[in-house]
Amino acid sequence: MYVLAACGVVLGVAVLMFKLRDGTHPLATTVVGCVGGMEFVGAGVLAHYRRPANRVGSLMVAVGIGLFAEDVQLSRTGWVYSAGFLLTMASSGFAAHLVLAFPTGALASRGERALAGAAYAVVFGLPLVRTLFYAPPTRYGVRSNLLMVTDNRAWSDALQQAEEITGAAVALAVTAMLVRRWMTAGPPLRRVLAPVFVTGLVGGGVTVLDGALDLPHPVRQVFLWVYMAAFCLLPLGFLAGVLRVRLGRSAVGDLLAGLTEPRPAAELRGALARALGDPSLQVAYWRADTSEFVDADGAVVTLPGPGQARDVRLVERDGRRVAALVHDPALREDPHILAAVTAAAGLALDNQRLAAEVRAQLAEVRASRLRIVAAADTERRRLERDLHDGAQQRLVTATLTLRLLQQHLDGKIDDAAAGLLASGTAGLDAAMAELRELARGIHPAILTDAGLLPAVAELAARAPAPVDVDAAPTDLPRLDAAIEATGYFVVAEALTNAFKHAGAGRIRVTMEHRDDQLRVGIVDDGLGGANLDDGTGLRGLRDRVTALNGQLTVHSALGEGTSITAVIPAPGRR
Amino acid sequence: MTGPMTDPPASPMTGPPAVRPAGAPSRPPGAIRVVLADDAVLIREAIAGLLRRNDFEVVAQVGDPTSLVDAVATARPDLAVVDIRMPPDHRTEGLDAAVALRRDHPQVGVLLLSQYLESHHLPALFGGSARGVGYLLKERVTGPAGFVEALRRVAAGGCALDPDVVALMLRNRRRTDPLATLSEREHEVLALMAEGRSNRAISERMFITHKTVEAHVRSIFTRLDLPPEPDNHRRVLAVLTYLRAQW
Repeated sequence: MYVLAACGVVLGVAVLMFKLRDGTHPLATTVVGCVGGMEFVGAGVLAHYRRPANRVGSLMVAVGIGLFAEDVQLSRTGWVYSAGFLLTMASSGFAAHLVLAFPTGALASRGERALAGAAYAVVFGLPLVRTLFYAPPTRYGVRSNLLMVTDNRAWSDALQQAEEITGAAVALAVTAMLVRRWMTAGPPLRRVLAPVFVTGLVGGGVTVLDGALDLPHPVRQVFLWVYMAAFCLLPLGFLAGVLRVRLGRSAVGDLLAGLTEPRPAAELRGALARALGDPSLQVAYWRADTSEFVDADGAVVTLPGPGQARDVRLVERDGRRVAALVHDPALREDPHILAAVTAAAGLALDNQRLAAEVRAQLAEVRASRLRIVAAADTERRRLERDLHDGAQQRLVTATLTLRLLQQHLDGKIDDAAAGLLASGTAGLDAAMAELRELARGIHPAILTDAGLLPAVAELAARAPAPVDVDAAPTDLPRLDAAIEATGYFVVAEALTNAFKHAGAGRIRVTMEHRDDQLRVGIVDDGLGGANLDDGTGLRGLRDRVTALNGQLTVHSALGEGTSITAVIPAPGRR
Repeated sequence: MTGPMTDPPASPMTGPPAVRPAGAPSRPPGAIRVVLADDAVLIREAIAGLLRRNDFEVVAQVGDPTSLVDAVATARPDLAVVDIRMPPDHRTEGLDAAVALRRDHPQVGVLLLSQYLESHHLPALFGGSARGVGYLLKERVTGPAGFVEALRRVAAGGCALDPDVVALMLRNRRRTDPLATLSEREHEVLALMAEGRSNRAISERMFITHKTVEAHVRSIFTRLDLPPEPDNHRRVLAVLTYLRAQW
């Protein structure tokens, strides 16, 4: 291939020499023809280098060589000159093949193959026949048509006219084919086709007009110029295609850079679509539990089958199906980009899936912790009620009976018996008092009946040392039962620790409900040194607070007292 | 903390009492007519028995707030004894019913029995008046004489506060407010006052002369900046109002 290109360059230089020596050609067309040919060869080499498997590069080189070959007839060497007759339209055949095959490099349909064949037949077949009857004017004497069988001017002219008419027909057919392809192409394919098609259409259009109309010389000259200019631009169109590939690669780079953190589904689809240059891209997510593809909203997606207008690329990670990209078929022409984007999509989607799984698990764990807390609270309330309604009632009744017996027997029994009776009722009194406090410790009814502030105020009233409760009733609306209970137990535990372990002399409790958060703070002037791990019940408290999505912080430097703060998200009730 | 309530023995317990319809003809002359409201039948029957032996007439026994209000409206008793926890939710339905009774039937004394050693229900129960109202711990019924005495006081338009509840309130107040300036003796007097006892009862209770009690009471009023009032109820109300003022 590269050797062929080198030969093409040599040929180009040779025909340039022929032209300059010939002297009958305007410098401008000479230069344009040479530059156009060289461009094709160079761009073809580049395209071949970028995509070795694609025949487009080779065809471009062929077009370049064909352009040079058309001028071989300027040679003064007899056999070369004669051979040149066969190649007067060489570039047109290759060009027709090239535009039909672009961008895949392959002729996809029978129609395209037939058209390409027709183009070759016209540009190589007809001149071959015509050469047999064509006697060129002998200007330099040395040049003559070595291939001529018989000099027949009429046949030669007729054949030339046939060349022009069939050439125009083929060009028309090619143009029609390209128009149809343009109409059916999606945006990615159009982007690739546009530069080539525009120039191709201009060149093709000019050829059609030139062949179909009998035009005066100056117009033909203009048409020739346009044709040449279009031919010069055509390789640039291919270069643009090559550059687009490079742009695509950097788009993949941008995509990867942007995927460092999980993104919402819509954003991810947008990023993938940008990287692929396919706004119509659909991302279908694989649901392993139901074995079907769904879109970002969870609606079931049916993937297009083979032979449909859309292509499907499966995204897999570690052999697991993750998703599918439903894309424009033209993206197949860029297998590298498609592969890179698919890999990036796999990465991102897997990431997204993992993040979603973790979120779901976290939500489940939170919900279950909340349920556990709520269930424990309910159980505590039930226990408290049972104690009051069952055990306490029976104790009260039994004590009353015993007291009545005591009165009944007063004076009728000896002191020892009376003493026994008295200690029995006293024991029952103590049991009732203990039961009452036990029930209160399990769950203070006041908390349910009156709320957090009255409950904490009562707690403070029972404390063995001064407790200042700093909270206005207006700052503390009724909150969810689990939240109120948590706030209460934080204060209760903190007070117990302060008196029992820290020997506090003064305690300050602050409570407020602001910005949908309950803040409870307890500050004492005790020994300090409390921490969450020393079994003072603080850990259990923190678990409880965390279960409600809250935070419990403890500051307790030795000798500086203890400060405990709980912040619990708490939307106001009512 | 006050000592156990000791009083002269009451008549012995007799057989199970029958629920007598309102306005039954065979009532003892001058007997206090009572409606009992408690959903715990066992304890209700025990209280009813205790009351009958002490010459009360139990005109109705009910187990829920609606029946209580109906019974009071029909029987027009001197006194309603109400458990704070009643159906349907077993929370403070009894308190709500008691408040309603005090509003709609001011001549009926209302005594609330509570399982809870708590003072925060008092402002609601007392409202603006200490006439014919009481709040006792439920277990107080086992000190029969003191309980019966408290019932009589409330039925007669006086008031009765559980000594433990008063103690809790005083203990809570003692540290932070002018009550801190009271002497130990004055505290005792104030506690007994808050229970609804008269000066004479206090003097008997504390084994001090009537005059000394009056001196203590005057001193308390001065220190608490309360205008001295001879009326028992107004004293309690004043104390209560003061105790609850900062809540």
